[in-house]
Amino acid sequence: MLQIILTGFANSFIPFNFLLIIAGLTGGIIIGALPGLTATMGVALMVPVTFAMDPISGLIMLGAIYSGAIYGGSNSAILINTPGTPSSVATTFDGWPMTQKGDAEGALNASLLASAFGGIVGTLFLLFLAAPMAQLALKFGAAEFFWLCIFGLSTIAAMSPGNVVKGLISGALGMLVSTIGLDPLEGAQRFTFGTYSLVQGIEVIPAMIGLFSFSQVIILVGSSKKFIAEYKAKKGATVRVAKKIWKDMKVNLMRSSIIGAFVGILPGAGGEIASIISYNEARRWDKNKANFGKGAIEGVVASEAANNATIGGSLIPMLTLGIPGSAVAAVIMGALLVHGIQPGFKIFTSTPELAYSFIISLIVGNIVMVFVGAILIRGTARVLNVPTSYIGVAIVSLSIIGSYTIRNSITDVMVMIFFGLVGYFGGRVGLDTGCMALGIILGPIVEDNMSRAISISGAEGSIFKVFFTHPISMVLIILTLISVMTPMFMAKQRANKEG
Amino acid sequence: MKKRSVLVSIVGIVLMLALTLTGCGQTTPTTTPTAEKYPTKPINMIIAYTAGGSSDIQARIMQKYWNKYVPEQPWVFNYTTGAAGAIGFGAVAKAQPDGYTMGGVNIPHMILQPMGQGAQYTIDDFQYIAQVVNDPQVIAVQKDSQFKTWQEVIDYAKANPKKLKVGIVGTYSGHHMMLLDLKAKTGIEVTQVVYKGAADQNAALLGKEIDVMLGNVNDVMRSLENMSVLGLAANKRSEFLPDVPTLKETGLDLVSAVQRGFVVPKATAPEKVKFLRDSFAKIQADPDYLADMKKAGQPTDYLTGEEFDKYVHDQEPINRALLVKFGLMK
Repeated sequence: MLQIILTGFANSFIPFNFLLIIAGLTGGIIIGALPGLTATMGVALMVPVTFAMDPISGLIMLGAIYSGAIYGGSNSAILINTPGTPSSVATTFDGWPMTQKGDAEGALNASLLASAFGGIVGTLFLLFLAAPMAQLALKFGAAEFFWLCIFGLSTIAAMSPGNVVKGLISGALGMLVSTIGLDPLEGAQRFTFGTYSLVQGIEVIPAMIGLFSFSQVIILVGSSKKFIAEYKAKKGATVRVAKKIWKDMKVNLMRSSIIGAFVGILPGAGGEIASIISYNEARRWDKNKANFGKGAIEGVVASEAANNATIGGSLIPMLTLGIPGSAVAAVIMGALLVHGIQPGFKIFTSTPELAYSFIISLIVGNIVMVFVGAILIRGTARVLNVPTSYIGVAIVSLSIIGSYTIRNSITDVMVMIFFGLVGYFGGRVGLDTGCMALGIILGPIVEDNMSRAISISGAEGSIFKVFFTHPISMVLIILTLISVMTPMFMAKQRANKEG
Repeated sequence: MKKRSVLVSIVGIVLMLALTLTGCGQTTPTTTPTAEKYPTKPINMIIAYTAGGSSDIQARIMQKYWNKYVPEQPWVFNYTTGAAGAIGFGAVAKAQPDGYTMGGVNIPHMILQPMGQGAQYTIDDFQYIAQVVNDPQVIAVQKDSQFKTWQEVIDYAKANPKKLKVGIVGTYSGHHMMLLDLKAKTGIEVTQVVYKGAADQNAALLGKEIDVMLGNVNDVMRSLENMSVLGLAANKRSEFLPDVPTLKETGLDLVSAVQRGFVVPKATAPEKVKFLRDSFAKIQADPDYLADMKKAGQPTDYLTGEEFDKYVHDQEPINRALLVKFGLMK
């Protein structure tokens, strides 16, 4: 095995491949940073380009784009409070407040380093633990997914302490929105009001672009600030942040990356769920919980390490079983199939050079990403030096283009504008856009799995048995209860101390 | 100063919105005179399913060979997803019939959706270019399952009504029709478990969430070493699964498959339709194309445009009867 790993390293440093890594990372970061363009789109666009290359180079490029895009989403999340990809929703919780306090650079560098670390950890799981983790992924059935999402949603309860009710209402509204369209089991139409364009449901990305960026534009235009935030470039920011993270946040990094890798292996659960769960855990175990949500660098680190770790995780079931762990993994699997390579354990035995070169290139890519990213940060952070009015127009155009390109539907642009207004006016009465986004993202997964678990219970004989007796479900239920009760417990403790 | 910058941004935003909303809503009218050699600009290929899926992969392989035979103009892929393909199919039906929009379609989904889901198109809204794939359904179980033949599955289901968990992908789909047909022909009662995609369905079978899976040959190929395929719902054995008996040869007259093909809007000019049909015929005759499809596990089965048209119209009453029988017509 060591020999093939070394071959893998050698392949990454072939000049053409190395160039592909750099190009892929750069392209991926930019795509990820632009709200509306997702990692899936970026990778899918580049698949035909790989037809002209040999499979190893093609895969290396796609892997680099994947890593770059998942990291890139954090840039816009931090700078303009708009997640560039759904995986970066949790990064806005602390990234944006950091920018507002004048520390955009700290946030950007933290997210870069955390992403690289998470990416490497996820890939190490892929390299050494692919088989057992793939088996674990198979044990997740409908009930387990259901509880995993409930656990993810429980972060809402903890997210806005003191305002839990508003957070819950926002989340519930989000879930309600996600029911628009066809129901997962019978195909019955709900809330479509007879218009066919609503039958397809509300696409998550336009809704998020609307909730976050469009409403943000309205706020920015209405504010009296000439610039979004204060920004002064300081030399050596990357190294300074790296030292700080290494000193204080090792546990956070490790835990978040592991959470990301495990969530990544589950088909259908990706960066969004991983980063939210990891954010919540980071807060739970931190001594200064109250700082979270106000600009705690730990929050950014937790979210970004987790979402990049899902990359390695999502490739595990894809390469070993032919079951992609995420939408991007599905596109990469498609590329493999077009090149005539069948995913499955055979990949490691009949085409080991391909498999291991791909995996090692992800590790190399993450290291290179630190350098590429650091250079790009100097460019992206300059966004803060552009007057608000121009930024506003740019965001609007990007929002419209981004919403439209998802599936060439003007309906999505309308959805985006609608949610922009909802986000703006709702924000004024205490609506929490983050919680609502969570509801919109997790709602369909919750419902899909709950309905399926209920139909399975028809054969098993009892709903209770399906939902409450499997070991993984029990673990998740206990975690959810702890997650919900901790803030109440802490509030009580605080009251006791003061009283 | 502040007032002016606010004004600038508001004007800018309103202008941006106005431009894009009017621009995006329009479709450009054709100005190409028919005397010019078609195609003169790239052709939009609408794929109604997500990137990376079977339909996408098949179209990508075709794209490679289209570029060989029609190098003048490429395909541009548009993923218009939703409602299990209905949104994409509808988009093709409503597109400008100028020969520059084409779409991939799946049968029987395209037949069922107008009947069962109120889709915004009918099978008469298209001109059929070619069928390229015929992917039969299979009955699959886990490698270590108690069932060694499909008869055992049926016997178990008869002895234990509603206890057998059968996984399918989507309602109003090929799998759904096969399950209905199976229930109609054997009288069994099972628990139907619906998945959104083949990946989830495969994972569920391997993870033992379901006992039996109705899947397509192409989907099963990816996890073959972990599954046991008990029967093939086709007229003859598949070259990909030569050891799997057909249901017909072992006593059950059940044929069920998903076909994939390409269509253009109904009003497209006949000479353009002919050009596309001829181009697809050339691709289909290319041995390298057939080899690539085989490597990707896609079962080719070519029907010309006219044959495809006839097939779709013949299938419609058969599917309608199944839906009516199970009370699923809308």
